[in-house]
Amino acid sequence: MSSPEPIVAKGLGRQFGDNVVIEPLDVSVDRGQRVGIVGADGAGKTTLLQMLAGILDPTVGECRVLGFDTRREAKQVAARIGYMSQGFTLYDRLSVKENLSFAARIRDVPDELYRERSERLLSMSGLGRFTDRPAAKLSGGMRKKLSLCTNLVHEPELLILDEPGLGVDPLSRRHLWTMLDRFRSQGLTMVVATSYMDEAERCDRILLLEQGRVLADGSLEELLRPAAGRVFTVNAGDTGRGLRELSGILAQIDSVHSVQWLPDHLRLVMNADIAENQLAELLPEGTHLAAAEPRLEDLFVLRTDRRAGEQQFPELARQDRGKGEGLAVKGLSVHFGHFKAVDRVSFDAPSGELLALLGPNGAGKTTLIRALCGLVTIDEGSAEVAGLSSGGGSAALRRQIGYMSQRFSLYLELTPRENLRFFANAYGLAGGAARAAIDWAREVTGLTDIPDKLTGDLSSALRQRLALACSLLHRPRVLFLDEPTSGVDPVARYLFWRVIRELAASGMTVLVTTHYLEEAAYCDRLALMLDGRLLAHGSRSSLNHSLGLEAVATVEMLFTAAIEQAGTANSRALGP
Amino acid sequence: MKAHRLGALIVKESRELIRDPVTIALAVIMPLIMLFLFGYAVNLDVEQVAVGIYDLDNTPASRDLSARFDSSRYFQLEQKTTDLRDLESALQSSTISMGVVIPAGLARQLLRGDEAPVQVIVDGGYPVLGRLASAYAEAVIANFPAPRQSAVRVQARVWFNPSLRSVNFVIPGLFAVILMAFPPLLTALAIVREKETGTIEQIYASPVTSTEFVVGKLVPYGLVAFLEILMVMVVGFAWFQVPIAGSPILLLTSAFVYVLTTVGIGLLVSSLVRTQLAAMLITLIVTLMPSFLFSGFLFPLFTMPLALQLYSWLFPAGYFMEISRGIVLKSAGLEAVLPNLMMLIVYTVLVFVFAAWRMKQKVA
Repeated sequence: MSSPEPIVAKGLGRQFGDNVVIEPLDVSVDRGQRVGIVGADGAGKTTLLQMLAGILDPTVGECRVLGFDTRREAKQVAARIGYMSQGFTLYDRLSVKENLSFAARIRDVPDELYRERSERLLSMSGLGRFTDRPAAKLSGGMRKKLSLCTNLVHEPELLILDEPGLGVDPLSRRHLWTMLDRFRSQGLTMVVATSYMDEAERCDRILLLEQGRVLADGSLEELLRPAAGRVFTVNAGDTGRGLRELSGILAQIDSVHSVQWLPDHLRLVMNADIAENQLAELLPEGTHLAAAEPRLEDLFVLRTDRRAGEQQFPELARQDRGKGEGLAVKGLSVHFGHFKAVDRVSFDAPSGELLALLGPNGAGKTTLIRALCGLVTIDEGSAEVAGLSSGGGSAALRRQIGYMSQRFSLYLELTPRENLRFFANAYGLAGGAARAAIDWAREVTGLTDIPDKLTGDLSSALRQRLALACSLLHRPRVLFLDEPTSGVDPVARYLFWRVIRELAASGMTVLVTTHYLEEAAYCDRLALMLDGRLLAHGSRSSLNHSLGLEAVATVEMLFTAAIEQAGTANSRALGP
Repeated sequence: MKAHRLGALIVKESRELIRDPVTIALAVIMPLIMLFLFGYAVNLDVEQVAVGIYDLDNTPASRDLSARFDSSRYFQLEQKTTDLRDLESALQSSTISMGVVIPAGLARQLLRGDEAPVQVIVDGGYPVLGRLASAYAEAVIANFPAPRQSAVRVQARVWFNPSLRSVNFVIPGLFAVILMAFPPLLTALAIVREKETGTIEQIYASPVTSTEFVVGKLVPYGLVAFLEILMVMVVGFAWFQVPIAGSPILLLTSAFVYVLTTVGIGLLVSSLVRTQLAAMLITLIVTLMPSFLFSGFLFPLFTMPLALQLYSWLFPAGYFMEISRGIVLKSAGLEAVLPNLMMLIVYTVLVFVFAAWRMKQKVA
């Protein structure tokens, strides 16, 4: 008799209250297969994985994992699988070795097998030198690798991973996948949720999830087929036209489904097959048109309403400001006890620049922004923001900066109008001035007809732009956006970035943090951060050049090269 | 239950606990602070009641009566006045708690052998004090000018706490209260912290059973709680000089059972809630508050309405209160404490069964 299939789900569905998170679905996974689960935030990826791991009961249907029912025989399932959740899976106060041996012993691994396997896993993950270090003192990448080790120590037949690469530095992410590849060759079946294109490429099969429904199921190539031949990039070439004018022309073309604004070009997704030369004829002479590789995001874009991305935005008058009035940061450090959250960071950004601050979780991005806003004390070095020295949290500084924090600090129990009015008053605007500021901010962010319900009931995309509007009311000269795009669908992200580009074009300096490295493509210059330090800083092409990479290198490759050059990933961790 | 899994859980939990200096400090210092605060603050003895005397007689006899009040350890002469309004305002402003009115002609009436009325006005705002003060005042007056003769003599003997020191009664009661205050709090946070950080999902997705998980938490936290009670007992007996009439071994054995009860309650709470804040609030509401009100610590339970007496049975502090006071004050033996001890054991078993059953090992 052949061994039972890793996963057989029949009509598996889950709802929380009235909210259907996973519509009943059938899915089966073959032995040795590597299945990727791809979908936007809130598509139901985690819920599906938790049901497969037997730690969440389905509301309908059933699921058998390795022949055991996940509802009634959850512990038999648990003994045979590894499940790595998105959040923290380690005990901070236990050392690397203690975490690993705990994981082994609760999974019934005999001592002699544990000794042999732990040695192999620790050397494979590069953690062999840190066995006595408490998990709390590991870098984000090392923590993820250790989590993976704790889920491999009992040599499971099935491994379920929830976004293993999220918020991890690119070099560690590569190590993680090298480990996974090695276990795959031993026949390990894997189900992995991911939002990274390169991770999806490593899967045999992808389930595309949208609002709890399986949109598509097949290899990456099969999945991308609907978008194949429909994605193009356009730039103005030497026509002297701006992107704004170009996008106005594109808006007239019916078959253009969406337009994504990037620093020097537009990326188009067409809703009908069109030959490159046919499309070229519709565009003004001299513009450069090129076919582009489709991405998974394009599939989601194609499924949304065309008009969703077609909002008009006012052109902002360019406000000339003196040079050197953007950001100037010199040797800035922020310490939390012995921990250097930000370690001697220096960079500058002239007015009108859109600068991306990139780095994995825990790199110090948020702390740096908070230091620049005067919200945390600067321990060393100095920073000038809009020509004013930051630190001490002066009122003058606060009038010059806008800050949108990670969780969109809005009052969810107020309507959008009430939120705007409150923030206008908080910035000292009243009466006619407040009304004018609110009207302007709404126009700029495309919120002219925002629904009149509680902010908490709005979609995250609307909330995101409302938060932006609130931070713009006093027309700051420097705008700080901390992870502004998490949890927002691709089309809304395109819109958001377009607003940001317009703001930068008007002379506002914008500093954006993100751990989605591909979003760096929207920005003029990049600053790469890891472990509190600034690894590199400059435009993408100049960074590619200085690191000896080809012009087509992805931001991911760029970051990896920067880490390797800085030699940080592990050597820093060796220090005292 | 598998021994190696349980062993791994206990070792892991102990390591986390030992490496958390804040929790350890809290576990050691807070009970001691509470012991000292309540050991000194909760004093049920009525002494040095402030008295005002309105003496209209102003004779050697009336001054003798005033002096008797002043020399009694229960009273302290705060003011002598010849204006009734002074007495009234002093009572209102609480500068005195009792007023004594000696009418004119006291000495004359005594000489004649007549009955002489003396009025005692007591502030009833705090009834216990008022009642005791008036009883003491009656005793002072009854012995004036000389003890009266009666055919029947009262010979009162106070058993178990002959000196009637209230600290002898408060300290053994505090053991029950302190142990209900801290161990459940510490333990309740233990599971919920894993829920908040997300490490619990790893436990769910492993072969560890609910019972193993709960027992794995119980052992280290139970040990900490037992050390806590040991410390509180040693300091309580030594510092406050409370004599132990009964068997210390029996007291410790009962305390051990009670420790399991309190830790069990903490585990139960944390198996029910999701956030540390909720765990803390609920623990305080179900443990600390009732252990003050419904354990007989300060107010005897038999004076409560029947419904509340029944309600008080829900909280285990009362059972241990009886055991602890029984052993310390009345030298109660195993036979005497057994009913309450059995209640604690049954209570503990129920709490554990319920906690293990509630730990469903699912994320929702």
